[in-house]
Amino acid sequence: MAAHSRIERARGRARVAKTALGALTALVFGVAFVGAKTHAPGHSKGKAKPLGAPSSFEHAVHESALHGGQIAPAVQPPPVVTSSS
Amino acid sequence: MIHRFSAMGCEAVVAGGEAAAPAAVLERWEDAFSLFRPDSELSRVNRSPARVLVVSPLFARALSAALEAAAQTRGLVDPTLGTGVERVRLTGRVLVRPPGLALDLNGVVKALAVDEAAAALPGDGFVSVGGDLAVRGPVDVGLPGGGAVRVVRGGLATSGTATRGRHLVDSRTARASDSPWSQVTVSGASCLAADVAAKAAFLLGDEGPAWLDARDMPGRFVAGDGGVVENETWAGSLREAPACT
Repeated sequence: MAAHSRIERARGRARVAKTALGALTALVFGVAFVGAKTHAPGHSKGKAKPLGAPSSFEHAVHESALHGGQIAPAVQPPPVVTSSS
Repeated sequence: MIHRFSAMGCEAVVAGGEAAAPAAVLERWEDAFSLFRPDSELSRVNRSPARVLVVSPLFARALSAALEAAAQTRGLVDPTLGTGVERVRLTGRVLVRPPGLALDLNGVVKALAVDEAAAALPGDGFVSVGGDLAVRGPVDVGLPGGGAVRVVRGGLATSGTATRGRHLVDSRTARASDSPWSQVTVSGASCLAADVAAKAAFLLGDEGPAWLDARDMPGRFVAGDGGVVENETWAGSLREAPACT
């Protein structure tokens, strides 16, 4: 009877230890997960923010990687001249 | 109305609105990238002994454009002038490069500033700095050696040795270029595209016209003796003027 009671108590302590270990594991995982999300480079920290330049400028530069412009014959005296500077 | 003022060490010309907004844009870029200002961000980055630096969003954008230009021109237009572009890493705003490796962003900064200044115009017009320009709406532009062309869309830039002598460095040899051209003018989808392509075409010498044709970029080359060569794309663009109906 006494031996049975000791086994029950030991099982109880084991259950408590398992529960505590599981909770601690979950807690460590959660803290590490949030820490990685907020601090480690390469992890998304939220929505990307624009850099502040006008969107038309961003669009023009993105679209312009060594693509040709459009020219035509001149029709009036030029107000400006291109030259090397 | 046309406004003229000094910016980035050159004459700036603005049409299509007040000069204040484009001038502020140009000043912001010059403040960040002038090598003549010891407190500019570029000067501070080049002086820094650190291997890893966090740079401003504007700096990151300019360096990103410079690295992209180096990739697209296979190193002809290189922000390290041939001293090790492959050792420069930019991830977001984090710059990693060997201490002592100086960056020269002149190859892209003026053109980027012109593009952003033109985007700041309220309507049709143009912004030109030192002869490199971006347009919003058609603008007629005088060309080196005479003549003119209408820039309908994008930008127009000229690179060469006519104004400041042999200042273009060939990153393949790390020496001043001995290109047969004195000035190369290119039409691009933006001033940045035109400027990068003009520098590359100049440095490529005799291969420049075909290199631009392969990218459907109009180019006009003035030789050292004053002779003018237009690549097929340039000549074709002027032949294909829109018909009146």
